[in-house]
Amino acid sequence: MISSYTFGIYPRSEELIEATRKNTENLDSLFQKETEEYISAQKNAGLGFVSDPLLKWDDIFRPFSNLSSVTPTALNRIYEMNTFYRVLSFDGQDLVGGGNIVQSNLDSSLPKNKTAAIPEPFTFAELHTSNKFKRKEDFTINLAKMLRVEIDSLVKSGFEAIQLLGPSIAYNNEVDFGLVSDALKILTSGLEAKTILHTYFGDVSKKIESLLDLPVSGLGFDITTTPASSIEKHSFSDKLLTVGIINSFNTAIEKPQECIKQVDEINAKTKPKESYVSTNFDLEYVPKEFAMNKISVLGEIARGAKDV
Amino acid sequence: MSKLFPTQEIGSLKKPADMLKKVKDPNVSDEEKIKARNEAALLNIKTLEDIGLDIVYDGEVRRVEMYEEPVRYVDGFEFAGRVRSWDNKYYNKARVVGPVAFKQNFHAEEFNFVKDNSNRELKVPVTGAYTLADWSYDEHYKSKDELVLALARNVVRPLVKDLVGLGAKIIQIDEPAATTHPAEMDIFRESINESVKGIDAKFVVHACFSGNDYKALAPQMPEIKAEQYTLEFANRDTWNTGLDDDARKGFQVLKLFKEHGFEGEIGIGVSDVHVNEIESPELIRDRILYSAKALGDPTKVYVNPDCGLRTRTREVSFDKIRSIVKGAELAREEIK
Repeated sequence: MISSYTFGIYPRSEELIEATRKNTENLDSLFQKETEEYISAQKNAGLGFVSDPLLKWDDIFRPFSNLSSVTPTALNRIYEMNTFYRVLSFDGQDLVGGGNIVQSNLDSSLPKNKTAAIPEPFTFAELHTSNKFKRKEDFTINLAKMLRVEIDSLVKSGFEAIQLLGPSIAYNNEVDFGLVSDALKILTSGLEAKTILHTYFGDVSKKIESLLDLPVSGLGFDITTTPASSIEKHSFSDKLLTVGIINSFNTAIEKPQECIKQVDEINAKTKPKESYVSTNFDLEYVPKEFAMNKISVLGEIARGAKDV
Repeated sequence: MSKLFPTQEIGSLKKPADMLKKVKDPNVSDEEKIKARNEAALLNIKTLEDIGLDIVYDGEVRRVEMYEEPVRYVDGFEFAGRVRSWDNKYYNKARVVGPVAFKQNFHAEEFNFVKDNSNRELKVPVTGAYTLADWSYDEHYKSKDELVLALARNVVRPLVKDLVGLGAKIIQIDEPAATTHPAEMDIFRESINESVKGIDAKFVVHACFSGNDYKALAPQMPEIKAEQYTLEFANRDTWNTGLDDDARKGFQVLKLFKEHGFEGEIGIGVSDVHVNEIESPELIRDRILYSAKALGDPTKVYVNPDCGLRTRTREVSFDKIRSIVKGAELAREEIK
């Protein structure tokens, strides 16, 4: 048996979608009911870490629009997806929000073994704008400082693992790994929690050496875009390895035995310090019925895979 | 068309509220619902004609929306549920669970009605194979390429062939997903060419703007069997009048099409469909004149909004189209 978790935004049910569109009186209670359903589903599946389904979040960056001097602006496509996020403009003097932006938007009923996901600074800076910090390097580093305050708050309230979402590292052909590393160092230095950097929306086969040098506890891979054969060429003896085995972009439900075999093969070749399985990215790209099935299958894969 | 700078719509308009109320009401008879749809279609056709558009259609008033409508009538699909577009906006996404196949011409009633009620040139919008594939979950085919080509050959081609058989002369293949995956332009090109293979009509491809600014599309354009592309430009152009590159930032990519050897027509998007502000006729005139110069031939320029106008109110949409028609008139006067 190995450990497991999901991360990011989960899909709303048809009932909740309708309620949000019509702003019905029972909207808050529906949000709560569905949040609890997802938390129970993760517990019942035996996932190693449980996450908030973030049902109220319109996109993974939106809570940061509550920071002073941050303005939501135009819609922008999330990479090559048919889903859009709102670009935030950071116009103020300092990126300070008191460290409670993420924490205050998470459900308080999460169990002790809880995890939370936030965008890593390089991706954050790639997808948003700043009138204050004209140089991308400055923007990235200042975002990192802002995010560190958020992470400290999460860790203080008991989050054992922080998932760092880094799709731009995967998607962009050119990545300044020096900048990525400097920013991640700000996030992880002296932190008493696991930090796992997730790369998805692009093949990182040629970047794995650079990724292994980054100051994070572990790396997560979307194996629908980065072939397992590329990951297997590397040793993960100093890193945690998360195999994003569940495809959040297809309704086809994974066959547990095939997945277990694949995860065992990857782990046998990479010999990770610790092994995890997860979704490849946010489950919100499939409707709720399929997301629920996928959570259950994820737990089955984790239970069936050989311990490292 | 002999006239310079012909004006046209892209496709969708916001549906009239009274029609929606009737068609959603379970107590309204089927006959009444048919009548309501016909009246709404007629209203759109006549309004567009009265404004002075040269090429018209019915504002897609009978269609649910561009993805869900065709998928409802194609074998091999099952709806999975709604998936977020942004915020609280969702679309109904389907799974491909078997071989895709054409069952019936799901636009026949719509086309026949428009044909019977307009003397203008008609442009029929049809959702393209690449977009249908890209916006679906594929649980059946081995690869996206395989699904795209199956949709092109087995769904879009028979549909287009049937529409042409009914008298359609201009078909617009709508491909908003086309430019979102720059690495997949080869399969996009093949999907269009397979969709139109052996069919005698004028083919127009509508592709929305993506971050790539049509740079991935440009090299493919001469190889795609389409006479015209209707594309978005206004949404990243300035609102200043003028014919210089600084004023016409959004249209500079036109030069790239020419550099890549594309000699066909461009339906230039001169009106931003994401804002309520109405572009002045003078601004539209300058966008047209700049485009004519960039393409090196004014006869290659058609004029339209960036995209379908269904996200705007009907009042704003028709005001925008009025301005487009006036702007085209001003541009014609300049060219005389």
